[in-house]
Amino acid sequence: MLSEPEKIRVLFQKTGPLKFISHLDLDRTMKAAFLRARLPIKYTEGFNPHPKLVFSLPLSVGTASLCEFMDFRITEDIPKEEIRDRLNAAFPPDLRAIDVYTPETKFCEIGFASYDIVLHAPEADENTVSAIRAAFDAPMNVEKTGKGGTRTLDIAPLCRLLSCEKTEDGIALSLRLSSSETEFVNPRLPLDFLAAHIDALPDDGDYTVCRTAVYRADGVTEFR
Amino acid sequence: MQIPEKYLKQVEKPARYVGGEWGQTIKDKTKVDIRFAFCFPDTYEIGMSNLGIRILYDVLNDRADTWCERVYAPWTDMEKIMREQNIPLFALESGDPVKDFDFIGFTLQYELCYTNMLNMLHLAGVPIRTSDRTGTMPIVVCGGPCMYNAEPMADFIDLCIIGEGEEVMDELMTLYAAHKKAGFDRSAFLHDCAKIEGIYVPSLYDVAYHEDGTIASFTPRYDDIPVKIRKRIVKDMDKARFPDKLIMPYIDTVHDRIMLEVYRGCIRGCRFCQAGMIYRPIREKSPDVLCRQGKILADCTGYDEISLISLSISDYSHVDELTDKLLAWTNDRNISLSLPSLRADSFTKELMDKVSSIRTGGLTFAPEAGTQRLRDVINKNIEESDLMNACSVAFAGGKNQVKLYFMQGLPTETDEDLDGIHELCSRVIDCYYRTPGRPKRPPQVTISAACFIPKPFTPFQWEAQCDMDELARKQAYLEGRITDRKIKYHYHDAGVSRVEAVFARGNRKLCRAVEEAVSRGMTFDSWEEHFDYEKWMAVFRDLGIDPAFYANRVYGEDEILPWDNIDIGVTKEFLLRERHRAYEGKTTKNCRETCNGCGADKLGGERTCCPSLKK
Repeated sequence: MLSEPEKIRVLFQKTGPLKFISHLDLDRTMKAAFLRARLPIKYTEGFNPHPKLVFSLPLSVGTASLCEFMDFRITEDIPKEEIRDRLNAAFPPDLRAIDVYTPETKFCEIGFASYDIVLHAPEADENTVSAIRAAFDAPMNVEKTGKGGTRTLDIAPLCRLLSCEKTEDGIALSLRLSSSETEFVNPRLPLDFLAAHIDALPDDGDYTVCRTAVYRADGVTEFR
Repeated sequence: MQIPEKYLKQVEKPARYVGGEWGQTIKDKTKVDIRFAFCFPDTYEIGMSNLGIRILYDVLNDRADTWCERVYAPWTDMEKIMREQNIPLFALESGDPVKDFDFIGFTLQYELCYTNMLNMLHLAGVPIRTSDRTGTMPIVVCGGPCMYNAEPMADFIDLCIIGEGEEVMDELMTLYAAHKKAGFDRSAFLHDCAKIEGIYVPSLYDVAYHEDGTIASFTPRYDDIPVKIRKRIVKDMDKARFPDKLIMPYIDTVHDRIMLEVYRGCIRGCRFCQAGMIYRPIREKSPDVLCRQGKILADCTGYDEISLISLSISDYSHVDELTDKLLAWTNDRNISLSLPSLRADSFTKELMDKVSSIRTGGLTFAPEAGTQRLRDVINKNIEESDLMNACSVAFAGGKNQVKLYFMQGLPTETDEDLDGIHELCSRVIDCYYRTPGRPKRPPQVTISAACFIPKPFTPFQWEAQCDMDELARKQAYLEGRITDRKIKYHYHDAGVSRVEAVFARGNRKLCRAVEEAVSRGMTFDSWEEHFDYEKWMAVFRDLGIDPAFYANRVYGEDEILPWDNIDIGVTKEFLLRERHRAYEGKTTKNCRETCNGCGADKLGGERTCCPSLKK
C-alpha cells in the first residue's frame, strides 16, 4: 500500500473498430478494463464511486490514434511493465497500452497534434496536390461552432501541412494542427475546407484520419 | 468490419456495426463446419441486453465445429445505405454475409419484431418463405417466448425451438453436422429435426380450418413426428450452461450489467402472465453456485453492477443467504446489487438496505389493478396494505418517487376499478406525508398503465381484448380523474397493444399480413416513432383479415387454439380451472403454499417446489 496514491500515465493506441466509439464510450470501456485488470486504482469519492480516469485530447468519432494519454492514480506499488501487461490483457484487441510511466507534464502543456490522412479521390492528380499545398498558404476561413455561437475563423495559421502526396487512388497527407486548450483544431475543419474548394477531393467523408503524435507548445518536442 | 468507413461516418452510433468488443468469439472459418448467425430482430443496444443470446452464443461457440456470430437489425439510416450500396446483412464478428451461413437463428421476444425478422432475411438476400428456401440455403431457426405460438410466423421458419434452447441447440448442431457429412438433404434434415424433443417444424404439419375461421385440425405429415410438441427445459439449473465470458458492448445498452439468473419459473400464478406459466416448473440455482458465477462474471466483465434475474426475486427461497453471500465481496469491489422484479409484499427495510448499499435506482411495484376485487380476479395476491408497507419503507429510506405498474382492460374491469387506480395512488401520496423520516421533497407517483393483451398459455388466453374505442375511453377516463400533479399517468398506445394481441393469438393466416407489412416498408414496430396503426389496419383490410377475430373475440373453451399443438407442461384443464376461478373472484395459492396441479411437474426438475419432484 502506498502512503500517497501514485500518479500513472498510460500512452495507448485506439485503432480498428474502436475508432467508432465516442469518448464517453471509451471512458466506460476503460473503466471496465481496469476492473478486469484488478488494478488497485484510486476511485472517485462520493456516492457513486468509480475509477478516476483523466484523458488528454478527446478524439472525434471515426478518428484512430496512435498516441492517446490517460492518467490515473494507483494505491499499491506495482511495476509499470506489469500495469501495462495487465491492462493489455484486459483491453479489447484494438486498444493497446504502449507505455506506462510517471508523468512529468500536464495535459494543458499540449500544443499540437499531427494526423495522417488518406483521402479516397480517384480523380486526384498532381494538380490536386498543388492545390492542397496552395490552400494552406492562403487564409482558410471556416465556420467554427463553439460556446459563443458560430464564428468565422482563419485556421491557416493553426495548421501546417507536413506532407502531401498522390497515392494510387487518392491523396495522403499529414497535418500538424494546433491542439492547445484555447485553440483546438479538429482535423475535420481543414478537410472540409479542402473538400469544398478542390473538386477532386471527396465531400462525403471518404477518408481516414489517424492521430500520430502529440507535441508540446514549441511544436517540436513530443509530449509525454 | 464490412461497412466502408465513409458510410459508418454517416450513421448514428456506428459502433453498432463494427463488432470487435472484448469477449467476442473469433474463430478460423476454414476450421469450422457450421456457421451460425444469431440474429436479434431489433437494435444492437436491445439485442446485446438479451441473456438468452449470451447463453446460446456460449453454447454454440463451445463446440469446436461451430462458429456463432451476432447480427442485429440495422437502424433505418444504415438500412438505407445497405440497400443503396447493395451491402447484404452481415455478421459482426467476421463481417461475412449472413446468406452464406448454415443457420440463421432469431430470437423472437415480442410480436412486434416479426416485421424486423422478415426485413433482416430480406436484407440478407435469403428467401423469406420456408418453401422458397432450397438446397443448402441457410436453415432459419427461431426461439424465444413468441415460439409458444409460432403460427403467425409459421411460413417463414424452418425450425422452432420450444422452450429452453441450451440442450436442444447442441443436439441440433450434432444432427446437422451428421447430415452435412452424409450429403445434405434439406427435407430429410427437417424431418429428423422434428423428432428432437423441443423442435417444431411448422412445414411438417397441416392445419385445416372450419368455415368460421377457427381451427378444425392440426395434422403431422409423418407418423414418426409428435402430434403435440413438448417444450424442453433444463432440469438442473446448477448444471445449466453458464457463459463465463461475456461480450462487453462499447456503447450503452439497455441492460448494461451482470445478469445473474437466479431461477426459472414462477410460484405465482397471475392469470394474465404468460411468463408465469411457460417457464414452469420452478427450478432454482443454489446460492453457492450463484455466488461463484457472480464472481466469475465480475472478473471477466468489469461490470460494477450485478442484477439478480428472475420473475420475482423475493420468491427465491434463499434470497437472504444469496444477497448476504454476494454482498460479502461485492461491497469491497464497489459492485452494486440490483434486484428488479420485487414484489410489494416482500419489500422490507432489510432488503432495501442491501440493495442501496452503494447505489440505488428507482422503486417500482406492480399492483396491476386498482381494487382488491380485480386483483383477486387476476390472482395478483397483493393486498393494499402490502403496497402501503412497501411504500412507507421506501419513503422512510429516503425515496420520494415510486412507479406503479397497472393494466387496463383486464377481464371484468369496470370504471370503479379505474377509480381504484387513482384512489390507490392518492393513498400512496397520503402514506408519504404520514411517513416519519421521509424526505422533504414533494412525492411523485408515476402510473405506468399497459393495455391487457390476452396471451397464449394463460388462464386469460380465451378472453377478448377491449376494442380500441373502449381502451381509449378507459385511458381518457382515468386521465380525467387525475388532477393531482403529484401523480403522473403514462399509458401504452392502444393501437400497439391491439396489433400485439392480434399476433399473440394469431394463426397461420396472419403470415401473409407480416409479409405484406414488410413489403410496405413497415419495420421497427416496437418503436413508437415507427409504428403506424392505420398502416396495419390497411394491411389487414387489403388481405381480408379481420383483426377483431384475433384480438377482440372470446375464444371458445372447446375451440382448437392455434397453440394447442404445443405442450408447455401446464395443462389446458388447469388454465381453464383458473379462468373459472377468476370469474368467481377466487384466488389461488402460490406453488410454495400448495400444489395446484398445473401439470408442469411432468417435465421434471431439480430444486423445484413441486411436491412430486421432491426427493
